[in-house]
Amino acid sequence: MRRVLRIARREYVAAVKTKGFIIGLILAPLLMGGGAIALSLLKGRIDLTDKKIAVIDRSGVVADALTAAARQRDTQVVHHAKSGRKLQPAYLIEVVPPHDADPQRQRLELSDRIRRGELHAFLEIGPQALHPGTNAALAQVNYYAKNAALDDVRRWLGNPVNQQLRKVRLAEVGIDETQVKDLHDWRPVESLGLVSLDPTTGAVTDAPKRGEAEAVLIPLAMIILMFMMAMMGAIPLMGAVMEEKTQRIAEVLLGSVRPFEFMMGKVLGGLGVSLTGSLVYWSGGLIVVVSLGLTGFLSTSLVLWFFAFMLLNTVMMGSLLAALGSLCSDPRDVQNLTLPAMIPVLIPMWVIVPVLKEPGGAFATWLSLFPPFTPPLMLARLSAPSGVPAWQAWVGLLGVLACTALAVWLGGRIFRMGILFHGRLPRFRQVLHWALRG
Amino acid sequence: MNVVELNQVTKTFGTTRAVDGLSLAVPRGSIYGFIGPNGSGKTTTLRIILSILYPDSGHVRVLADGQPGRSSDRIGYLPEERGLYKKMRVRELLRFHGELKTGRKVNAEVDAWLERLGLADAATKKIEALSKGMSQKVQFIAAAVAQPELLILDEPFSGLDPVNAEVIRTALLDLRRQGTTIILSTHDMNLAESLCDFILMIFRGQKVLDGTLAAIQDQYGADTIRISMTHPHPNTRHLPGVTEVRDLGQTQELRLDPAADPQEILAALMQQGRVRRFELTRPSLHDIFVRIARPTQEE
Repeated sequence: MRRVLRIARREYVAAVKTKGFIIGLILAPLLMGGGAIALSLLKGRIDLTDKKIAVIDRSGVVADALTAAARQRDTQVVHHAKSGRKLQPAYLIEVVPPHDADPQRQRLELSDRIRRGELHAFLEIGPQALHPGTNAALAQVNYYAKNAALDDVRRWLGNPVNQQLRKVRLAEVGIDETQVKDLHDWRPVESLGLVSLDPTTGAVTDAPKRGEAEAVLIPLAMIILMFMMAMMGAIPLMGAVMEEKTQRIAEVLLGSVRPFEFMMGKVLGGLGVSLTGSLVYWSGGLIVVVSLGLTGFLSTSLVLWFFAFMLLNTVMMGSLLAALGSLCSDPRDVQNLTLPAMIPVLIPMWVIVPVLKEPGGAFATWLSLFPPFTPPLMLARLSAPSGVPAWQAWVGLLGVLACTALAVWLGGRIFRMGILFHGRLPRFRQVLHWALRG
Repeated sequence: MNVVELNQVTKTFGTTRAVDGLSLAVPRGSIYGFIGPNGSGKTTTLRIILSILYPDSGHVRVLADGQPGRSSDRIGYLPEERGLYKKMRVRELLRFHGELKTGRKVNAEVDAWLERLGLADAATKKIEALSKGMSQKVQFIAAAVAQPELLILDEPFSGLDPVNAEVIRTALLDLRRQGTTIILSTHDMNLAESLCDFILMIFRGQKVLDGTLAAIQDQYGADTIRISMTHPHPNTRHLPGVTEVRDLGQTQELRLDPAADPQEILAALMQQGRVRRFELTRPSLHDIFVRIARPTQEE
């Protein structure tokens, strides 16, 4: 054990003393959250060019109201009330009479105007939009633009168009909209947890509010953190072992330690790196959570589960990756094996959406009990508002523990043979033979 | 008492038998030389002694222990190719290797060795900044710093200039005086002749020579004549009883048939010119090596 710890200490010091580790520690969360950061930085940066929108109103009841709504919007939001600085583009409505004889030709002409830059988009309101009949196509409201799907104008148009249609429908049955207070009032459905009994006071406590942050951000952060720790402590082992093998350092060390001690020293060194990264991120995360008053979202048990799963995950992956690294005699071998080796950490990232949507569903439950995926997925489920039955978390942990023991055993047998095997990458059959028969 | 004993050891890689029924015994406190052509099984044998490789069959006993790997803390190893962490500093690296073996701080030993091999000024340098010769000396210290009972050196003089080679040679002799048993593998026959108490030659995985230099030479007898003549190109190939001629430039080595008469050869040479040197001697280790390892006509 002394020799394992001495190698682990060297590995750890060699890894954390580098500038690369410090830079990586800072850059990793920036890279992982880069999209969100960019989105928030660019949020206010919008194109202020006025948008001219042509409207073909085949229903005959919307165009005027739409023009009025656009004017009202332009006076309210386009310029800052005090400074007069332009904040938003104006929406300029151009009503175009419908060309009933050849509507397709009219659409082409308007599309060409968009292509020439004379128009931003055009809206076509179907003749039966007011009272949709059996032919749905005649009631459609279509928006044509170069980038229609993500266009803010399209999103804005939905409200005034439908308000006007409702208003006309009410008027047709003799109801004056202004006389019915709160006619269009919309009640959102609040998301709450479960009401429970306070064990100390015996009082019934209010159900906690469940926000999107709790439902999505915390589990997502858990998965990303687990991914980052694997990238930091386990994935680099493959390249490091290959390097020590090709530079004959391994041979010198094998004169002093057994191959298993050598491998475990490297794995424990990687674990130290992961622990350091985890402590840094958890400390930073806790400071943010406390300062924002969001301590209710995190629990001590979640922190303990994280460290238990992270520890086993790093040892499990590290052993297998060190064994894979021992088979390589060339950086190209490492490159070729890196992606397949990363699959156990990538798959949980790919399935995160269905798992978070139904953390208690059969798909999420079974996948999170499959040991290679258990650490990130069980943590995500544990941190979701619905939680996980305690037995599932413990079964998951035992599964990972067994899988880790198996990975260490198999990895050690492969490593012992691979580390002295030079030349081309050994065949799968040979590696299997080493793993099973030593 | 023997420090290393191998009995009928065999090791096969795929279809290649690297070591074939090898037996040897390394006496305590000796310098034991391994010689043999490339690929003959020297490094495999050293790795078996170190328990880096396990034999397919046969018995290995190192430092009176038959359990593989149990004596590794008492063995120092210098491999043929350098194996040093390039980013580590010299002193830090040597402490790492010493502590790995002994489990205690070896700061004083490291500094003493650095001083002794003239590396004190390089102690804080990174390995990647050292010359080949300096790296070799660092590798040597890494093997010797834990004061091992058995020191295994694979080509220890590779990359060293004569001055540094002499420093290492002196260090080896000092270690032997202090009781360390040394096994060294080398291609340098002069070094093996002058430094080793015992010589073992492995050829195609099998032992072909084993013993002291004198005992090995005795097997071949005095079948060599070294001559030097005023005539720049004496005709020696057709002299009676000469089976082979090795031209060394200033001298020539003539290998004799067991029935050859040296007096007849001397008389024949004197007819060609003045003979400055005529020495009837035993074959050198180099000559013996070449005789064994030279490809046959079928090869």
